[in-house]
Amino acid sequence: MSTDQRQAWFARMMESGLENRMFAPGDVLAHATPDVLASHLPADLLSKVLAASLAAGAMTPERVLETVTPELLAKHLPHDVLWACIAAAAARAGVSTSP
Amino acid sequence: MTAVKPFFVDALSSALELGIAKPDDVLRHVTPDVLATHLPRPLWARLLTACLGAPKVTAQLVVETVGVGNLCEHIPSPIIWNVIAEVAARSLGHALSIPAAPSPIVKAADSEPTRKPLAIGSPPPPAERPAEPARPAATAVGPSIPAPAPAPAGNHAIPVAVGIEDVVAELEAETPTPPVRPRTATGSGNRFRQTNTNIGRLAAANQSRRPQASVGTPPAPSPGIDPDTQRPAKTARRGETEIEVEVETEVGAKDDWRTTLAVEDEQLVDWSTSEETQTTTEGEQQQRKR
Repeated sequence: MSTDQRQAWFARMMESGLENRMFAPGDVLAHATPDVLASHLPADLLSKVLAASLAAGAMTPERVLETVTPELLAKHLPHDVLWACIAAAAARAGVSTSP
Repeated sequence: MTAVKPFFVDALSSALELGIAKPDDVLRHVTPDVLATHLPRPLWARLLTACLGAPKVTAQLVVETVGVGNLCEHIPSPIIWNVIAEVAARSLGHALSIPAAPSPIVKAADSEPTRKPLAIGSPPPPAERPAEPARPAATAVGPSIPAPAPAPAGNHAIPVAVGIEDVVAELEAETPTPPVRPRTATGSGNRFRQTNTNIGRLAAANQSRRPQASVGTPPAPSPGIDPDTQRPAKTARRGETEIEVEVETEVGAKDDWRTTLAVEDEQLVDWSTSEETQTTTEGEQQQRKR
């Protein structure tokens, strides 16, 4: 299993989770905290996030995820963080007892 | 309302497409028992048809035939989640132990109380014995054959061939059981036959039995006269083993003692002439002589 495959899989899971409302952007940012984002996102991406927020006048989780797409999340953030988000959603859905 | 199943379809199908997950990972949790329980019959028909037509039945064939969508649709979500979680844990390098398919056996094992580890110095736990299987009630084998006695509990040893030494030792170890009726001492007067005089000694001496001709039973003789001798028939000889009844000691009816004590007139003694019966003194006799 290569890193690219795992990255693509986590990207697909994040995208599907958001599309199917298994978890919301706020749930993602609950795990991908500002510290995590600041630590792992590259500078240009952090710049884009800040620029988009300034243009909209607010920084919301939805706006952050519009810039930091699931592919970028899976590319830059630790997969453990993403998995924690998915597992927590599964626990909320009642399909898993341990998040 | 969250759409968990579409997420499972995406996650599982993408994992299979990317090679992160393998069909064996799916069937490790979605076991045939799980499929038999939750998969609809039309899908089972499709699966059986595919398996019959395939040269080799593999997990890939099962997953591809049923389809990830159908699996996520009909199989309980916790099971599909276990598949995804196991794959994720493996991909993340976590030693995440995901339980296998929640079969009834696994549930029963999980329901057992947890056992604390024993210390090295502690005595060993008592040996566990499996529960005794219910023995069927002993029934009579036949109309005249008694029912077999139930074996003692805990004795499951199947009798095997043992040496003759074991049999001898076992017989010697057995305590002699007293006879039911004690043997009474028989005096010489009650012995009717000397030893080794009966027909049994011949049989004992010659163990092999010779062929014998059948002897017809003679007709019963008339009770009055013997047809051969034209004499009054003798009474049947008493068997040697018959016990002679002592009539003398019997106490019969009330008049029997009179007949027994009957005295003839000759046996009577004249008390007045017999010297033996005289009770007078010598002086009186001399006076009488005078």
